[in-house]
Amino acid sequence: MTPEISIIGMLMGNLPSIIGIIIGGLCIAVGVHFVPVGGAPAAMAQATGIGTGTVQLAAGSGLTGLLAAGYMYMTLSAAGTPGISEIVLICATGAVGAMIMITVTMLVGNWVYIYGVGVPPASAKRDYDPITGDPQTPYVAAGTVGQGIPTVCFVSGAIGGLLGGLGGSLIYCMLMWVNGDPAISSIFAIGVFLVNAVLPSYNIQGTIEGFHDPKFKRLPKAILACFIASLLCGIIAVIIPSGAMLSGGA
Amino acid sequence: MSAGGPGGEAVTAETANQIDAKGIGIGLIGIYIAGISGIPYLAFLAGIGAIFATKMGADAVRRVCSYGIGTGVPSIGMLALGMGLISAMFGLAIGKMLGVVFIGPIVGLVLALVIGFVVGTLANKIIKLNIPVMERCLMEIAGAGVLVLTGLSVMIAGSMDFVVISKLVIETGYIAPVFILGALGILHPFNASLGPDETQDRTMVHALSCGAIAMVIGGVCSIAVIGPIAGIISTIIGLAIWYVTFMGFIKLVKRDAGAGYVGTGLLPPGAM
Repeated sequence: MTPEISIIGMLMGNLPSIIGIIIGGLCIAVGVHFVPVGGAPAAMAQATGIGTGTVQLAAGSGLTGLLAAGYMYMTLSAAGTPGISEIVLICATGAVGAMIMITVTMLVGNWVYIYGVGVPPASAKRDYDPITGDPQTPYVAAGTVGQGIPTVCFVSGAIGGLLGGLGGSLIYCMLMWVNGDPAISSIFAIGVFLVNAVLPSYNIQGTIEGFHDPKFKRLPKAILACFIASLLCGIIAVIIPSGAMLSGGA
Repeated sequence: MSAGGPGGEAVTAETANQIDAKGIGIGLIGIYIAGISGIPYLAFLAGIGAIFATKMGADAVRRVCSYGIGTGVPSIGMLALGMGLISAMFGLAIGKMLGVVFIGPIVGLVLALVIGFVVGTLANKIIKLNIPVMERCLMEIAGAGVLVLTGLSVMIAGSMDFVVISKLVIETGYIAPVFILGALGILHPFNASLGPDETQDRTMVHALSCGAIAMVIGGVCSIAVIGPIAGIISTIIGLAIWYVTFMGFIKLVKRDAGAGYVGTGLLPPGAM
């Protein structure tokens, strides 16, 4: 009834998957630093960024990316087990899915800030927008640290969505390689995703404006921490087989 | 969001060791009786175990978040269930692989403690959060995550077998409500009760009532999985626990709400 499964053998055989999970985890960790997270102050239009926490944004974009990637995986795997080129396509789909989610959130959020709250989007971290060159300081309301999502934050957020979706889909593909079970792979990808999204959010102390924010320089610490965490998660994840494999292919 | 201000160690009436002992003890006993007995009508015991595990997680969240982690309380609840999910599934799978199903929850719990310790050390030593209780609290939170996920999954499936849980809980998608309700039970009580007048008993009663809501939803899910009678037993017991704990919560809210106020001092310099 119980198949003989050697743990060491599985680890060695699945080394590429572990490396893939680590790369995916690092993509998520870097992606979190790009997303303009404003937290509760931004929800009151007193800080630049989207008015919610890192984890909600990362989980939202990551899950949208996973859905897109899962659909693409299903379509492409109809012809057989996906190879490297298919995995590139799947990860690209996941990245675009996550980018759509995060950009729509920023766009609609900006409508609310501009037309609802009545504030001009402005960054408090730079005097001039690094992309458009527009002056920012005159538009930052007194007593606040910016408001809304200015161009540079929008671009940075789109890059963050890309990296988050890419990382999530890569982890999903790697797990599908190992166990071939979409349910277990996706729920595991969510678990690894959350661990890798929360650790960097401690690194940025909950808020960041994007790649132009001085906090972005803390990135190496998050990369080191997430490397270790992803390695641990990857080793555990590749040992788990699918339910079908355990019950003897039934 | 974090409690704000410099923060410090939370005031406790019931010590962390007592809550941990109850959470792990009742959690594991409930899961084992429900999983090993094979009697579907006892499946609700795993849900009761999950409620006490929720309380253990919520108390750990309370202690670590009273230092002010800067990212909001929900992040740590999601981290708990992220770590818990990986460990719980690994534990159940390894039990099945080795042919001894009943070691599953304990392996999952031990692994969660290890992952929690590693992640806590990473947060303290590399990211430099410098919260003295971080390692211990993340171990407790990850352990609570495992027990909540395993408890609710065993309650829904009526079995501890990874193949059965995989087929009945994960592939059917019931893992999604289990995941998010388990996380809410751990993160919501302190997130809702925090502030200068937060009291431990009020937050803990709130945690029990959140755990009971997760049990009710788990019971509804299990109507379709292990059968109407076992599912309805879990749902009704969950509703009863929810009613009692929620009434207790309202009583404590009224006790704590009086006409008085609690002085919090002036804002620290540079707070704006």
